[in-house]
Amino acid sequence: MAKAGLRAVVFAAVGALALAACGSGSGTSPSSSAGGGATTATSGPQKGGTLYILTNEKQFLHLDPQRNYTGTDLAFANGFLNRTLTAYKFAPGDGGAQLVPDLATDTGTATDGGKTWSFTLRDGVTFQDGSPITCADVKYGISRTFATTVITDGPTYAIQDLAIPTDAKGNSVYLGPYDTSSKNDVAAFDKAVTCSADNKTITMHLNQPVGDWNYAMTLLEFSPVPKAKDTGEKYDDNPVSSGPYQIENYTKGTSLTLVRNPKWSQASDPYRHAYPDKVVVQFGLDPSAIDQRLMADSGPDQTAVTLGGLQPENLATVFNDPKYKDRRFNGYDPYVRYLAINTAKVPNLKQRLAMMAAMDRAAYRTIYGGNFAGDLADGVIKPNLAIDYKPTNLWTGLLGQNIPDNGDPTFAKQLIAQSGAKMPTITYDYPNTPTQSKVASAVVASLGKAGITVKPNPIEPGQYYGVILDPKKADELMYAGWGPDWLNASTVIPPLFQPNGGFDVSQYNNAAFNAQINKAKATLDRTAQGAEWAALNVEAMKDGLVIPTLFGKIQYLVGSKIGGGYIWAPYGCMPFGDLWIKS
Amino acid sequence: MAAYIARRLVAMVGMLIALSIITFLLFAALPTDPALLTCGKNCTPQVVAANRVRLGLDKPLYQQYVTFAKGIFVGRDYGSGTATFHCPAPCLGYSYLKGEDVTSLIWNALPVTASLAAGAFIVWIVSGVLLGIFAALRRGTWQERSVLGFALVGYSFPSFFIGLLALFFVVIRWQLLPYPNYVPPTQGLLQWFQTLILPWITLALLYAAYYIRLTRNQMLETLGEDYIRTARAKGLPERTVILRHGLRAGLTPIVTSAGLDLAGLLGGAVVTESIFRLPGLGSLAIDAVVNADLPVITGTVLVAATFIIVANLIVDILYAAIDPRVRLT
Repeated sequence: MAKAGLRAVVFAAVGALALAACGSGSGTSPSSSAGGGATTATSGPQKGGTLYILTNEKQFLHLDPQRNYTGTDLAFANGFLNRTLTAYKFAPGDGGAQLVPDLATDTGTATDGGKTWSFTLRDGVTFQDGSPITCADVKYGISRTFATTVITDGPTYAIQDLAIPTDAKGNSVYLGPYDTSSKNDVAAFDKAVTCSADNKTITMHLNQPVGDWNYAMTLLEFSPVPKAKDTGEKYDDNPVSSGPYQIENYTKGTSLTLVRNPKWSQASDPYRHAYPDKVVVQFGLDPSAIDQRLMADSGPDQTAVTLGGLQPENLATVFNDPKYKDRRFNGYDPYVRYLAINTAKVPNLKQRLAMMAAMDRAAYRTIYGGNFAGDLADGVIKPNLAIDYKPTNLWTGLLGQNIPDNGDPTFAKQLIAQSGAKMPTITYDYPNTPTQSKVASAVVASLGKAGITVKPNPIEPGQYYGVILDPKKADELMYAGWGPDWLNASTVIPPLFQPNGGFDVSQYNNAAFNAQINKAKATLDRTAQGAEWAALNVEAMKDGLVIPTLFGKIQYLVGSKIGGGYIWAPYGCMPFGDLWIKS
Repeated sequence: MAAYIARRLVAMVGMLIALSIITFLLFAALPTDPALLTCGKNCTPQVVAANRVRLGLDKPLYQQYVTFAKGIFVGRDYGSGTATFHCPAPCLGYSYLKGEDVTSLIWNALPVTASLAAGAFIVWIVSGVLLGIFAALRRGTWQERSVLGFALVGYSFPSFFIGLLALFFVVIRWQLLPYPNYVPPTQGLLQWFQTLILPWITLALLYAAYYIRLTRNQMLETLGEDYIRTARAKGLPERTVILRHGLRAGLTPIVTSAGLDLAGLLGGAVVTESIFRLPGLGSLAIDAVVNADLPVITGTVLVAATFIIVANLIVDILYAAIDPRVRLT
């Protein structure tokens, strides 16, 4: 979800973090619904009705499973259309971080110290045309990731981790299923991903041990696609469903309507309940109008939820008025926000720590909207990564003494004095937006109190990440944010602090730290692995790699007839696939 | 007349070519890199390079333009290997951000914008001209002042303000209409009407205000002419004097303005479409600009420009039909 992370950061940067047709919300009797088999009590979850999903987006960025890489879009597609080998449990709080089997019979079997992973498919799983989902379909889905000129925007863990050789330029020798040239080494892919004789067990051979490869299987990158129905670039418009719903109509900019997939069976899918009869996504709505409609709570809007969160201007109203108490939600989004310190340009540890100590984090949070914006962060691993998070005590003694929320310029000056070197002028890179400009002022002011000269460097938002990801262009201090790709800090610590991690804007390259990362990556015992990530999080803070600012939060309001609402930890949104309509 | 129209059509093609070249050049001058925008998270140099090839940005600018122009007449292929797909002529390009060819995007958006523009046009032209005549005939009375006051209000409030106000009260607060959700009239005439009535009024308020003043001024000027006095002296009925001699003579500038205003709206009523969630050309163009989606930008610019140029031609021809003194050469 790093892409989603980047997106969210951009959203935040523009100061807009958060994000009726005539259908009836009335329920029908469960017996009249296809799929059958779920609970029927009127006071609890029940089948029937139409679930409306309101959004200001004009369309889903991608519905092609291998190209889908945005948190809420993943939650939506996985809940209704695309099954994956594993998934996250539908449960509020920490329960949502639990890995459960979906298409597979269990959460996978690792051998060879985590270099080989096998998953066996359930019986009776089918696509929407009734054809059985086989290992070959999952393998074909994975193969599409390698066609990087067609299957764009998606995650590339298959390319990165499968045991497939690379050429001199570092590119995979396998080029995906569309390339018919002789240079496409299909055999290399066939060796890395194999199917059992009964076409039910898929085995993936990795180029290094990956202890949480079964978490990666929650990504739609690893979901099945029937080769005969693959239309390449055009598959995005009408993907073949393996879930309980199928696309009835998709008009970009207007709406997407899902109806029940008659070939889906509850017996083969204990994970989903498929409560509503129909799901309608309405695109292109004004964010303020979405809030007003949900606050008014009339007609079909009583069965509506949103892809994005409440607008900041409506938070006080919704959270202070008791009439909304049963349908408002406040919880963590997937993102951590921080200021990255470029260790290549500020190599002196004491000086980095001085910057951390001086930063007025309270002002930062105020600029973002106060308590609703999130909790003050103490590291880059967030509490919603339940197993991996442990308080780092960063602000309560880790750096030598307690540091108040508004910073401690006196202590920062002491650290600078201890550094034995002149504090350099710090250039602060940030996306040029109104909110980020205010943050820049707070950075200049708070570090200035400690005698640190900060020069703001606003960068056009569209160019921002291109600049800070370029070591030659990045300056000493940078605004940044990150969300994990799956609920394991293996998608936080390595990408942020390893040279080839993908988002190491701190330019950190520490051999001992890298070795610890590689060891943690290979650890198969999830609890032990969690402890290793927590320790590395503390190490990163002690080494002054970032100034963590916020564990972001998001707020939702849903219609009064929505059942089963909560903020789902893996994606920081409603558990779309588990919502039901109250009669 | 035929020679005149032929000349204008040739000039129109020339202008469209010039416009498309200018759009291409302007886009190339932008600091935003489209290859980066469609890169996703794993934006390695290899992926950026592959994207550049996929988008055709690795070719020289003139070659990109020639490929684009050729696609309009003979279509073009996109993708590679077994994932190749064809964009049939007239292919205005393919939007990788929208996942659709530009011609289809425009073709889908056009009826929405046409519905909006045509409805609003009828409302504003009827109300604007009638109220303008009324104001002229009631010169110096409280009725004229009321009409002009209304025109001033309509002219003063921006359409986004009126639109949001209408949406908030009529739809959300009073729930007199369902939330705008565009469907073609063939799929639901009532829903189509319910969705468009507020956008029509919002848009028409602004334009009607202008046409009230324009018609009133034209009428006052014309009604003061000698030939009007002569017509009255000859004993013609007042209705004939007003409509046949007064209005017809004052119609020329109104027709000019109306033609160009309508053509401008057909190119996309950006604000109104955004407020009322109408997936028309204006929304399409705004999205394209925000996302640096060159094929869509070029396509919408060309379509909007075509409307303006064609409307200019029609207006000039109408000129001659309305006013016998005008000769097209």
